[in-house]
Amino acid sequence: MTLTRRRFLTGAAALGAAAFGAGACTSPTTANPGRITLWYNTNALSEKVLGEAVKRFAALKFTPAHVSGEFKQRLLAALSGQAYLPDITMLGDDIATYFADTDHFVDLNTLGAGNVRDQYLPWKWQAGASPDGFQLGFPIDVGPAALYYRHDLFAQAGFPSESDDVAGAVSTWDDYFTFGTQVQKKLPGRYMITDTKTVFTYSLAQEPKKYFDRSNHYLDDQSQVRRAWDRAVQAFRMGLTAGYAGSQSINGESIDRHAAWNSGKELSFVNASWITGELKQSAPATSGKWRICRAPGGAGNQGGSYLAITKYCPDPHGAFEIVKWLQSPENQPQNYLELGLFPPSPSTYTDPRLLEPEPFFGGQVTMDVFSKIARDVKPVYFSPWDITISDTYTDELTNVESAGKDPEQAWQDARSAVERLLRRQGVLS
Amino acid sequence: MTAILPAESAGTRRAPVRRTPAGHRKRWRYLPQYLAIAPFFVLFAIFGLYPVLYSFYLALQRWDGVGPMKFVGLQNFAYLLTDTTFWDSIGNTLIIFVMSTVPMTALALLVALGLNSSVRYKGALRVAYFLPNVTSIVAMSLVFGSIFSDEFGILNWVLRLVGIGDVDWLNDPWAIRGAISIMIIWRWTGYNAIIFLAGLQAMPTDVLEAARIDGAGPVQTFFRVTLPLLRPVLLFSVVMSAIGGLQIFSESQVLLGNRGGPGGAGMTMVLYFYNTAFADNDFGYGAAIAWGIFVVVVLFSILNWRLVARPERGQVQTKGAGR
Repeated sequence: MTLTRRRFLTGAAALGAAAFGAGACTSPTTANPGRITLWYNTNALSEKVLGEAVKRFAALKFTPAHVSGEFKQRLLAALSGQAYLPDITMLGDDIATYFADTDHFVDLNTLGAGNVRDQYLPWKWQAGASPDGFQLGFPIDVGPAALYYRHDLFAQAGFPSESDDVAGAVSTWDDYFTFGTQVQKKLPGRYMITDTKTVFTYSLAQEPKKYFDRSNHYLDDQSQVRRAWDRAVQAFRMGLTAGYAGSQSINGESIDRHAAWNSGKELSFVNASWITGELKQSAPATSGKWRICRAPGGAGNQGGSYLAITKYCPDPHGAFEIVKWLQSPENQPQNYLELGLFPPSPSTYTDPRLLEPEPFFGGQVTMDVFSKIARDVKPVYFSPWDITISDTYTDELTNVESAGKDPEQAWQDARSAVERLLRRQGVLS
Repeated sequence: MTAILPAESAGTRRAPVRRTPAGHRKRWRYLPQYLAIAPFFVLFAIFGLYPVLYSFYLALQRWDGVGPMKFVGLQNFAYLLTDTTFWDSIGNTLIIFVMSTVPMTALALLVALGLNSSVRYKGALRVAYFLPNVTSIVAMSLVFGSIFSDEFGILNWVLRLVGIGDVDWLNDPWAIRGAISIMIIWRWTGYNAIIFLAGLQAMPTDVLEAARIDGAGPVQTFFRVTLPLLRPVLLFSVVMSAIGGLQIFSESQVLLGNRGGPGGAGMTMVLYFYNTAFADNDFGYGAAIAWGIFVVVVLFSILNWRLVARPERGQVQTKGAGR
């Protein structure tokens, strides 16, 4: 049969119509119909564990899909377009922003999540549930915050330098500030605190309340916020902060800060466990000189992701089996070893692989410190608006720190900006 | 418009045919022509018009990107009018625009004049000047990030060396705007220089020769002959820069993050829109900001058009006077 123009055109038209018809019939709600697709972001899950899961759940046709770049934008686009949706998806520490839209997801309680609940840190488990008890997220990792410090420089200057001694000397923020003043007298031109922003963030992370209560009522009495704010301003007034806030890229990395780690200018800082990766990568020459200890003011958590199952998943029970296995206490240590994702299961804290002495921290077993902090974190309600509100406060703190704004004016501006924002969002009337 | 034109002229020419009964056949007569121009209009309707109309619809809603939308009427616009961040972002955008365009145009002109005079390796130099324009903005911002870094940046190291001292590039509001402007200047000088160069080379040599014979020095020739003749090209470059200048985004975002740095000094209009819609997931208000930007751009275009139209008249007069 020779291909004439007429034949070609009718063929093409028929093909087009067929494609159109097929598309209209089987609208592909999930990304890969017939498979269980999991969307995950860079450094969110161990590739090794995922590889094993693909073999183990071959019958369910488990398909992990690495989504690079703007993960959340892609997920929102898929959710609102109702097409090419993942069956299992990663959610960030802003999980609360999905609490109003739980009708797109499966309540993990209905899949028997209650049976494994006890294997995870209670506060982390609770943070993955909406105020009305919808279990949206399954824990991937947590971010216990510790004090990182330069053991060698502390020792040289004659200050306490062993983990327990330093922790004892800086048990409260006030102690930490006093200690910082002494250190700066002896070691001028160096800093103990990154910026006002970190003081505010980690101080607030230690509070049992943030901006909203669990029924999404705005806490008008923001004494806990004010406490964190005052601490940040005090650290700035005492000249303890380095003010690296301004040079932070969208990924939160700061070139000045990296350089300060390398040169020993930043002597100590409070940060979540996940900073270790950045620290090791940016300041390899300081290996062996760092130690960690309990952060001043108590235990706090910053960050940590979840897995969730969308309601478009045709086999939620199968998907839940995969999620459960991926994040089982047996597999979590691999996440930590490979990517520094701190495990949410207390039973892993005695895993021999995680109790190895760490050369970067001078042979310290950092798990001993992190695990105690992780266990002590107080459950706190994280509302859908928390991140934007936090940003508003830290923006104003940065104004105080680097633009010389009057702190009281900055506080008033931050509060009224937050209230205006919440009124626009319809949260406040 | 172009579609109607042949139809009308053909219709008048074929006036007698109109009396034939097949009136509807005539309507289909020009179908191929309409089909031929259809792709643009179809694509524009889908990817241009629909999003525009949808964004207006969105600006009347409150929407987090997933759940149901909630109609709030003109609330978002009312909020926009009293939103100091938005007004500041307009100011920042215009300041950065002026701070970058004025030096950039002057520099580009110098470069173009240099390239136009007989230097060696002209081709290589042209490529070198154009190179920044094709460099990825993200890569370039990373490099500039380490150049402008307050304490450990190369620029401050040089400034310290020559005794000027540190500039708080990424903390001080004016230094932030300066830093962003420097990035824009670096990126666009070569591009404009190439355009100016084209203008210079298209210049009639007899005019320049006549000026030289009349005894005009190089400076006089430049200001009295070259610059007036270059005016259309200059105007083109200024208009292009204005269009780009109102869209400043990447430089600011990669250098300072989504919130525009300390004091919000690097918060441009488009960055504020991006931050609201895609970082805070406040799509309704984001759409309202986009319409705010639209209004600013329209006003700016009118202003630009006025400025462009006036010198054009002036130029005609000088031409007439010359004759």
